[in-house]
Amino acid sequence: MTHYLGVDLGSTTAKTVIVNDTGRIVAAEVVQMGAVSRASLARAMTSALEAAGLDESEIAETIATGYGRRLVPGAGRTFTEITCHARGVAAMCPGTRLVIDIGGQDSKAILVDELGIVEDFAMNDRCASGTGRFFEVLARAIECDIGELADLALSGNRDLEVSSMCATFAETEIISLLARGERREDIAASVHRAVAARTLGLVAQVGRHTPVVMTGGVARNAASVHFVAQALDVPVSVPDTPQITGAFGAALLARESFRGHQIEADGQAGTHRAAPPPDCATCDPAHAGMDPGPDGRPLIPVRPR
Amino acid sequence: MDTAVTDRSNRLSVTKLGGKMVADYWANVFTARERGEKVVWYNGSAVNPFFQAAGLVWCHGEAFSARLAAQHLEQPAQLAAQEYGYVGELCSYARTHLGCAVLTQNAGHANGTGIVGLPEQAELASRLPAPDFFVNAYAGCSTGQQWDDISFRVFGKEVPIFNVSLPFLWGNKPDAGYLIGEEWEQASRYVVGQLHELVRFIETMTGRPFDWDALRQNMAYIKQASQLRREAMALCAHAPTPATFWDWITSIAHINFLPASQELVDYFAAVKAEVEQRLAEGVPAVRDERYRVYFDGFMNWNKLGFLARKFAAHDVAVIAGRYTHQAFWQEPHLIDPENPITGMAQHYLLCPTNHGAKTIKHLVLRDCEQYGVDGIVFHSTRTCRAFTNPQHLIAKAAQRELGIASMFFEGDVADASFYKDEILESRLAAMLEGIDVRRARGGVVPV
Amino acid sequence: MSDRLTTALARLTEVAGDPDSYAQSWKQRTGGKVVGAFPMNFPAEVAHAAGALPVIIQENREPDTSGRNLLAEFYCGYTRNIADQAAKGRLDHYDGFFLADHCIQLLGAVDVLRFESPGKPLYFGQLETSLGDAWTPDAVKKKMQSFIDEMEAFTGGLITSEALRRSIALFNENRRLLRTLFEARRTGNARFSSAEMQVLVKSSMVMHKAEHTAALREILDAVGEVERDSRIRLHLSGHFCHAPKPELLAAIEECGAIVVDDDLYTGARYISTDVAADIDPVTAIADWYLKRDANFPCPTRVKHATDWEDRLIRSVDTSGAQGVIVLMVKFCEPHMLYYPQLRKQLTERGIPHLLIETEHEGVPVESVRTRVEALLERIRHTQLVSS
Repeated sequence: MTHYLGVDLGSTTAKTVIVNDTGRIVAAEVVQMGAVSRASLARAMTSALEAAGLDESEIAETIATGYGRRLVPGAGRTFTEITCHARGVAAMCPGTRLVIDIGGQDSKAILVDELGIVEDFAMNDRCASGTGRFFEVLARAIECDIGELADLALSGNRDLEVSSMCATFAETEIISLLARGERREDIAASVHRAVAARTLGLVAQVGRHTPVVMTGGVARNAASVHFVAQALDVPVSVPDTPQITGAFGAALLARESFRGHQIEADGQAGTHRAAPPPDCATCDPAHAGMDPGPDGRPLIPVRPR
Repeated sequence: MDTAVTDRSNRLSVTKLGGKMVADYWANVFTARERGEKVVWYNGSAVNPFFQAAGLVWCHGEAFSARLAAQHLEQPAQLAAQEYGYVGELCSYARTHLGCAVLTQNAGHANGTGIVGLPEQAELASRLPAPDFFVNAYAGCSTGQQWDDISFRVFGKEVPIFNVSLPFLWGNKPDAGYLIGEEWEQASRYVVGQLHELVRFIETMTGRPFDWDALRQNMAYIKQASQLRREAMALCAHAPTPATFWDWITSIAHINFLPASQELVDYFAAVKAEVEQRLAEGVPAVRDERYRVYFDGFMNWNKLGFLARKFAAHDVAVIAGRYTHQAFWQEPHLIDPENPITGMAQHYLLCPTNHGAKTIKHLVLRDCEQYGVDGIVFHSTRTCRAFTNPQHLIAKAAQRELGIASMFFEGDVADASFYKDEILESRLAAMLEGIDVRRARGGVVPV
Repeated sequence: MSDRLTTALARLTEVAGDPDSYAQSWKQRTGGKVVGAFPMNFPAEVAHAAGALPVIIQENREPDTSGRNLLAEFYCGYTRNIADQAAKGRLDHYDGFFLADHCIQLLGAVDVLRFESPGKPLYFGQLETSLGDAWTPDAVKKKMQSFIDEMEAFTGGLITSEALRRSIALFNENRRLLRTLFEARRTGNARFSSAEMQVLVKSSMVMHKAEHTAALREILDAVGEVERDSRIRLHLSGHFCHAPKPELLAAIEECGAIVVDDDLYTGARYISTDVAADIDPVTAIADWYLKRDANFPCPTRVKHATDWEDRLIRSVDTSGAQGVIVLMVKFCEPHMLYYPQLRKQLTERGIPHLLIETEHEGVPVESVRTRVEALLERIRHTQLVSS
């Protein structure tokens, strides 16, 4: 059977996904890098191959995406992360219309049609406003780990004004709030709310279509999902493996590319996608080699540097 | 940091009565359709005396944006604008108002993919009645002229629109100055011609001959009201001041667009009376006035009370500002109630952003001297380039010619997200320290 | 590419890249006066007829430094740079300045210039911007006459009707030649990249017209035909008052696109309209101003009866462009105000489009690439699905 490789090279992590000929994920890896480097990239690709039990020669086509996509050796083509996230989410959660990706450095709202084709998109990548950077600033200012943020924010109830668009000035606002004796929980909640408000503005540019799926690193933060859902006033789903949607989409595009762009617009499209079609509510892993985490959800092992 | 438990600001109490007048005015606008009245949308220049004389209901777009911002209700309109495609750096007055236009236009056609919730849409949309026609008469800022054209397009180009062109008082000639020079005379005559065309347009819209007597009566009231307002302002040259810039801000609505009437005159008579009474009784507007400043820039409507308290907390009396003192029928001597058109034309030209830097410098420094100002606070208004244009030039001139210090803070007219509190706090503190040092060196003991 | 074409294009590229040196050397050569004209509606023929060299002042490539404390941060790249140029004395070689446009940011920048150079002649003749009123044509004619009067005072000479006619003819010819090249591109000649097309226009804005026309003739003689390939065809829209950076244009095309048409100021807009040669020159110049907006509506003018979006879509239909990139100068109010109308129509017509904002300093190439590639991916994907 032929296999296809998708590589999503972000600014600090490399994600690799291998799919088989039916579009099913057979391996997925996330590797922490210091910065974009060929060595870390090679490691990510190797570990995916190992996990899938495949040799490099069994990969028919590779497509790269993400910030560092032009660095990937052996990648036939590149696609933007916009196209790849859209494709990946459409496959993981069929019927999705709106994909929201809040990254560490940028945010995207992507309008998707039923085939996973991008209809429209809006990006914010000129400033940290509304990106994961705000959460880093928050964590530093209230002195907690990024991992603790979600629980803190979900325990907050006061709506404090954190109005500044600028992450730098937001930091001084947060410090002022602390000095005033406000609770860390309330501050965390308010910052999440502020990011969600910016997200709402981004969504405004493409229209608040439903169903909505959040993806990317920040989607693992349950509080950010909660506040975005609140701001949008619609339910927001998160795939079990939001980090790999870009790489998954790239792998699917590699498959389509190899098969000569055979996209069928009728019901047969389903058979070309991951089988069985994953459902976000009861997402059956369908990934070989994934260990379930404490809440039963599969975890993607993140290999350290 | 606004944690002061004690509010050291002491705003005029007459403004509470004034608040009701404004609320009644808007209630009247919102219910215009029920009474079968015709509604005109306009921005910028106070051409409302014409509308009033013609029996129309007039709706000033900027004023509505300001009101929404002051009541912290601007979000849904701004979100609607963002959704429609307006970039966040656009003049937030225009953005807010166009958001309202979009909501009004879409009332009943909400398609569910909008980001402004349906209940919010319904509430805002039902507030501003759609216009029967537009009148654009915007001096200075080019955006102002384009804004009404865009509103016109948002409403599908289905209602008539009229443009009054107002020349910029650039001052090409050496004889050009404030209220003097050939360009001033030429521009005044030109605008008079434009206003006559406006009257013809209004007659077409209403199907009635224009009531010039009513216009004369309106302008008589406005002249009186303005005189009282100016006299009250002048009394603030006294230290400590009986009223501040925040009081004059609160009565902009009245002088700018409330119906010309005896009630309007009485209101400003009451303002002046309260100011005089405070002077007589030694009641200051700021508990401990130690510094007097001039506020140059647009008003930050999102932060009216907040800023009034903040400055007072620093013992700063904000005495006057370009927005309040160089606008709004500010030269009543130009108005001849028997033949008001020229005076009206001239006031439309005297918009505080319609002058070159040289004239604005002259006016600002003149006011600084008149009111005994120690420093200038410049509101670097993010989305209003018209107002910020000459600010740096004025700041340098104030230092050079009058030895007056200045500081700049960042904020905006109606978009709260641009306000940076830390900048205002730290720079204000620094400016006041500088004033203290200057006083100490000059042998003046800080009060 | 032939030697003649290479040489001519190189010459124009040099001038477009450094207009200041050109103007200074022209001054030295001829002893004439250089008029600094601000964009976008000043009738440069008037300066030419007076024997002066009209130069449409360009944004330069220096980082803004001294000028930063003369105008606030939130001004468009052009106006902030003008303030910076004024502060640094980069505009000193201009003998005088003329302005016809009323954009409030531009007024702020020119006022800064006025403050920094108090002795320099500077004339603002505010052209009527509400174009649909019955009294507008007369008012515009008076303003055009005022430009002539002021130019005469500035140069110390008389501008005859005959001189005006000659200048008009020269400028018309130059526009016509440029239009030929734009039409060639529109109909399939891929000889010039979008950056090269811009050089052709920008150099015309700053050079002595006869010299520029001579170079254009060389280019036209040798241009030949390069057949368009299968790259995605794009239309570039907007970017008022100054030129988008060549690196930005290159980045767009490097993603796999070819620009086939535009309505940029330093593009089709500059050359769209000629001045009538058969009527009184002052009337003709006034008409030109009004016709120009009718030909391609500009959001800096108010004309209720015409719609930029309709004109844009007609352009797209004519050129066969598959997508539109709106190049918006960050903080440009006229463009920000009008953009939603464009977006609405483009969306309704199913024309894929993208908004890219530009600033004076820096082109965020990766960010531009990502966005443009996503647009092209979408266009290609849609093509495949529908085929």
